[in-house]
This record gives sequence, C-alpha cells and structure tokens, in this order.
Amino acid sequence: MSRVLAALALSLAFALPAWAGAVRTPHVEAELLPERTAIVPGEPLTVALRLSIIPDWHTYWLNPGDSGEPTALAWRLPAGFRAGKIQWPVPERLPAGPLMNFGYSGEVLHLVRIDAPADLAPGTSVTLSARATWLVCKVDCIPEEAELAVTLPVATTAGPHPRGAGPIEATRARLPAPAQALSEWSLSATSAPEKVLLHLASATGSALPHARFFPFQEGKIEAAAPQRVSANERGYSLELPRAAQPVGPFDRVAGVLVLTPDGDLRPRAFEIDVPVAAAAAHASGAGFGFVAALLAALAGGLILNLMPCVLPVLAIKVLGFAGADARQGRRHGLLYGAGVLASFWALAVLLFALRAAGAELGWGFQLQSPTVVALLALLFFGLALNLSGVFEFGGLVPGGLAAWSARNPALDWFLTGVLAVVIAAPCTAPFMGAALGFAVAADPVQAFGVFTALGVGMALPYVALAWFPAWLRYVPKPGPWMVRLKQALAFPLYATVVWLAWVLGRQAGLEGVVWLLSACVVLAIAAWLAGLPGSRGPAARGAIGLALVGALALALVPREEAAQPVSSDAIWRPYSAQTVAGLNAAGKPVFVDFTAAWCVTCQVNKKLVLSREEVLADFRARGVELVRADWTRRDADIAQALASVGRSGVPTYVLYRPGRAPVVLPEILTRERLVEALDG
Amino acid sequence: MKHLTACLFAAIAFTAAQAFASTVGQPAPDFSATDLSGKPVKLSDYRGKYVVLEWTNPECPYVRRHYDSGNMQSLQKEAVGKGVVWLAVNSSSQASGEYYTPEQMARWLREKGASPTATLLDESGKVGRAYSARTTPQMYIVDPQGKLVYAGAIDDKRSASVAETKNANNHVRAALNEALAGKAITTSVTSPYGCSVKYGPAG
Repeated sequence: MSRVLAALALSLAFALPAWAGAVRTPHVEAELLPERTAIVPGEPLTVALRLSIIPDWHTYWLNPGDSGEPTALAWRLPAGFRAGKIQWPVPERLPAGPLMNFGYSGEVLHLVRIDAPADLAPGTSVTLSARATWLVCKVDCIPEEAELAVTLPVATTAGPHPRGAGPIEATRARLPAPAQALSEWSLSATSAPEKVLLHLASATGSALPHARFFPFQEGKIEAAAPQRVSANERGYSLELPRAAQPVGPFDRVAGVLVLTPDGDLRPRAFEIDVPVAAAAAHASGAGFGFVAALLAALAGGLILNLMPCVLPVLAIKVLGFAGADARQGRRHGLLYGAGVLASFWALAVLLFALRAAGAELGWGFQLQSPTVVALLALLFFGLALNLSGVFEFGGLVPGGLAAWSARNPALDWFLTGVLAVVIAAPCTAPFMGAALGFAVAADPVQAFGVFTALGVGMALPYVALAWFPAWLRYVPKPGPWMVRLKQALAFPLYATVVWLAWVLGRQAGLEGVVWLLSACVVLAIAAWLAGLPGSRGPAARGAIGLALVGALALALVPREEAAQPVSSDAIWRPYSAQTVAGLNAAGKPVFVDFTAAWCVTCQVNKKLVLSREEVLADFRARGVELVRADWTRRDADIAQALASVGRSGVPTYVLYRPGRAPVVLPEILTRERLVEALDG
Repeated sequence: MKHLTACLFAAIAFTAAQAFASTVGQPAPDFSATDLSGKPVKLSDYRGKYVVLEWTNPECPYVRRHYDSGNMQSLQKEAVGKGVVWLAVNSSSQASGEYYTPEQMARWLREKGASPTATLLDESGKVGRAYSARTTPQMYIVDPQGKLVYAGAIDDKRSASVAETKNANNHVRAALNEALAGKAITTSVTSPYGCSVKYGPAG
C-alpha cells in the first residue's frame, strides 16, 4: 500500500514541471512559484516569492512603518537573466501598541519579473535561485531566511503553471495600479504646519467616504495617526499628519493611495507621486496655517479692545488702575485677564459642544437670538445709567451681596473680564473672522489655541498696564475730570443701545423695539429709585426689585417675527445657494455680500464701498451679479456657505465665478481690492 | 458633554505631547528615570556633556546583532572614554512579555560586556514616548546645552544580520566624532530600524 502511494507521489511529482519545493521555517513556508511552465527565450516570466505565514504573525511591506524590515530577495541567476524589483501588493495596517506597521499576514506573494535572454537553447533547463530574507513578527520579531530555487525547462511555448498561474493572477489584482488609472480623480497636495493635505477632485462628482495613503518612504507621515478625509469646495482632502521625527523634506506625496469610493465596495489602489505645493494663497480656512491663525487671533484680540462697545467699559477699569496701588493693580490686572481667558475658554467649549451637536453657527451667533439682543440692550442701558451717575452700584445690589463683593474685589475684576468678552463678541474685528473660521474648521485643540490667543490678545494691554505700573505714568492722574469722563463715557453705551434696538427691530419688528424701550423705561425707574437718598430701606429695595423684574420681563417679550424678505432691493438679490449656482451656470460671475444687521464692520463697508455709485458701476461694467446673504437671523444655508469658504462670521465677501474656485475678499473692503479681485 | 470634555482634554494632552516630542535642533525633553540600582537619573544632571540615548531590548534580534558583534559595546567604550554620557533605555512594558527586571537587565549587560554610564528601565514608556522612540535600537545624541543633535538609526545597514555590521556606516560614531571636533553634524536625522518598542497601553 505504502509503495503504491510512494509511486503515485513520485509520478505526480514528475507530472508537474520541475519544482524545487517549499522551505519551512518556524513561522513561514516559503517558495518560488513561476507563472508559466517553461522559460521562453527572450520573453519575460513572472516568478513569485510565496510566503505563507502562521496565524497572528506578519511580514513587512516596502516601507515597514514604525519598525520592521521589508522582505528582500537576492537573486542568483544564470548569465543573461535579469530580475526586476519586487512588485508589492497593497499592505495591511498592523498596529503594535501606539505604533503602526505596514505588512502582510496569512499568505502573500511578492511578484518579480525575470527577463530571459534570447539565446537560450530549447530543451535545456534553467534554475533560478534566490536567498529570501524576511522579518516575521508577532510581538517579538524573528529574522528568517531561505535558499529557494525553481528549475524550469526552456521551450518555445509555455502554458500556465498549475500552482503558480492562479495565485499570481490573483495577486496582480492586489497590486496598486499606475497613477494614470486614476482618471476620475485629479490630485494635488498642499503643505500645512502639522500635516500635508492631499486634495482629490473628482471629474464626475463621485463621493469618497474613505481613503488611505501608504508612503513609500519612512519619516514622512506619522504612521499610526488617523488620516481624515474632509469634504470642501475643491472636492476632498486627505490629511496626512507629518512624522514627529521627520527624515528629509516632505515634498512629494509618493506612495500607494487606496480609495474606497461610494457605491463600490472594492477598494482600488494607485501608485501616486504628487509634488507638495506651498499653502494656498487665498484666505480659505483650509490653507490657513496654525501659527498664522494664532498670530491673527492675538492681533484680533488686541483690536477687540478698541471696539466702540468694549472701550467705554474698559476705560473705567483703567481709571481703577490709576486709583489702586501697584501691587493691588497687578492682582487686579491678572484677575481681569483670568476673567477674559475663562470666558474665551467657556465660549470655545460651548462652540465645540454646539458644533458636536451639529448646529450650524458662527461668531456673533448669540446676536441672532432676539432674547439675547434685548437683554444685552437692557444691560447696556443699565450700565449707561450708572455711568451717567443716576445711581451707584452699591445702592442697587442687595446688601449681603454688596458686602461680599466689597470683601471680594477679586470677583469684581474677574467679572469685568467676563463682561468685556461678552460685549466684544459681536464686533468681528479685522483678522478675527479668518481666525475663527479656522477655529470652526480645525480640530478642537487648534481651535482651543486660537481662542486662547484671542483671550490673551484682549487681556494683554490691561495686564501689561497692571504689571508695569511705570506705564501708568501715561495714564492721566486722577481728579475731578474722572467723574466727567465717566459721565461722558455713558454716551457710547447709549449709542450701543440704539444699535442693539435697531438689530432687535430687524429680528422682532417695531413691536419688539417697543417692548425693549418699555423695559428701558422701567429699568430707568429702578435706577432712579436706587439713586434716591434712603434707597437702602426695605420698602425702597422691594420697589427696586419689582421694577427690575418688570424690566426683565418686558425685555423677554420680543420674539422672532415670521420670516420676511430681507434687504432685497433692485440691485441685490437675496441669497440662496441655487441663485448663485444658477447665475454661475448661466456664465455670470456672482459677488456675495455676507452681512448682518448686528455687524458694525458690515455696515461700514456697505456705506463706504458697496453702496457707492462708482463701485456699482465697476460691478455693472464686468457683468457681475450681486447677491446679499443676510445673516441677521440664524440661517443654515448661509452658515454652510460661510463654512465652505472657511469662514464662520460676517463680513465675508466672496466672488463666485463659473468654473473657478471662490475668491474670499478682505474684511476691510476697499474699491481697489474689489476691482483687483474682479479683474483677477 | 462629559464625553466631549474628555475628548478635548485627550486632544490637548496629545498636542502637548506632540509639541514636546523630540525634534533635532530643539531642546531634548528632560526626563527622570530609575537606573538598575533604583537610583533616579535625570537627563538635565548631565548638562555640559554630550549624552547618547540608546533604546534597547535584549529580546530584539536587531539589538542582539549589535551586541553579538561587539559593535554596541565598542561604541559605548569609545564614547564614554571621550567623556560622553551613555544612557541605555529599555521601554519594554511588563505586559509585552519582553520585560527584563533590573537583575535580568544587569546580568545581560554583564554577559555582553556592555558599559553604558547607566541603564534606565522605562517600563511605563514615558521616556520613550517623550522621544517618539519607535524601534530598538534607536539612538539619540543630546549636546552639552541640552539640545537634541542626532536622532535615528545606529547605522545604515537595516538588517538583523551580524555579517552586515562590518560594512556599515555608523551614524552615531560619525555624529559624535564631528560634534566632539566642534564640527556641524553632517547626518543628523535618519530613519530608525529594528523591532518596535514594546510599549504598554497608554496612560
């Protein structure tokens, strides 16, 4: 019986073309497999190194990732033969603790093209041999090697090898295709401080839910870091986080790109080599570097101090410095700074929370709620009455709290910082829009950095004044003028109330404004009562409390009116995405003014630039259609349009031209810049 | 909301870690770790001297290549002889199965005739992560001002084969010689090779 089996095995072995057999190491079975049964003189032949790896262990790709070593073949070939490079199938990601490797598990074939010389004599045989070395790892790593050979007859024709042809053909399907096969997608790459962005634009508008890049070289990307895909106006961007320890410049995105397009379950892999261009020039959020964003946020924070709605309140605090001694001043300055920072952080957390909840929002969004606007107006009116000298805060605050506040001037300074931020928020200063657009589009950490920079910028002048009391020399000496200045400073606040009342009017109509003004009257009564001598008696206090509650109740009445067509006049069409797309489709360029009633800069630009007859003539001469996106009230479409150009606030001016990327214009608009953009 | 806050803090911690990660030309992250006798060793204690950091793991074939060939020991002797401080760091976690106790580590070093200034057990992976150490052997050089001046592989033969060692171009020796001669280091960053550092779970 056993002799029969042996004979059978022997005859089978002879029936197959000569095959040197597999080598077994403790972890891998390795062999060379030819694709055809014979070598044809002058023709190429594919030979595969087959590695069959025991479960849970793996070998490595061309770039092994954070550790490891690629499998290698050292050929010993007869004269005239030439071996090509290994053709690597797309690797798997193999996590190792916090590190990431690229490699293979199970069975893998490494294909090599062997070129045979033309002068071989048919009827002879040829042996192709190679030393294969590989590193095989689970947790521990074992370097292994095998001497392998395959002997094939030389013949004029060759058929498919019974064991090699099938697996080799299957492996070819796993090889990355050349970049030309990426016909549907056009690729480009840009540089950012922490990452390189690979942009994918689809000619047919295909969706791309998943993409993965494997670099040919080590030291370019952080192998273990997630690679996020984000959609933007250019199509999609794949984030490639830079290596923590880069080796050489990351100037080409060279490697294997695996795409999993929508509706096609089979991923497709391509060999790509895309040069990395410098960051995009226009002020879109995607191209806005982190450092630039931080600096812009810092500058924006500083400028916030000059906003008409912030300065009066802060000016009073500077008077406080003039009065306090140096050591106390320092403490107050720091407390004020802490208040500012805490508010910005609270805002940041709120922004993330709302963003996480999927809300479409932007800077100044608080002012889209009539309730917030009315309460702010009431607060400013109260503060203005205080500045005018109608009452002192000590008389208004209930005795217990007043005493506590007196014992805790620290709290007072901290709260001033908080208040300053609340008032500043609506005034989108130059630079700040772009920085915030960045913050809304960026990951939470970077956004947090931007908010911190804003807070630091805003607190800086006051903390500096407190810290270097010498600089207080430049602050005028205290005197009776302070009282007059304080009273004079009430007027900007009254003006702010007028502005807020106008904003409320746009949201809640005339009736809303009337409710607010009534609330102001009742608040004025409360203030007058508080300013009367003897206002500390229980009866007076009760009356003041009642009036305060009444004022608040009145201010809470205004509600958003039913939608009404906004700010449409003969020249400016109201915004909708379809309007812009439709006009573009008709070959017309479109200028969109993203604006809001509560945005001061917007009103200035409107008056000084956008309403000027020469500017309108500039638009007409170039056939530019004008669209106004009014964001006075919450509007998801407008928020989305802003986000698509990397912004989250107004003013934002965007020029949409058929077949070209949208151009974002500076927030401080001038006719020159506008014309330049129109002709650009 | 709680989840969001947790994410936020994790993200901040991650960025902070990134920000302090070692970069050639930047200050090397300071650390404190215990040597084999349990004595604390601080990087900043060696200000004023060149310090070589060697990530090691006796279980790794690539590390063994350099010890079995005597390559690492001769480089250690040469460097220490020139007044360079040599700190070998083992970041293998207890969970990895490749952990060496101080006694095991000391015995292995004795058997191999190794002579680092000190050998540090970084079981938590704290030091390794601060330096983004990925492989064993991975090498760093810190200059007398505490600046990182070299990071990467020990040499240019990315292999576990002892036979390769004699043909190798040793990056660390070259960098140390240049630095000690007051010259700029020609090759200051290379891709490290070898086994992965056997980190435990983050924490």
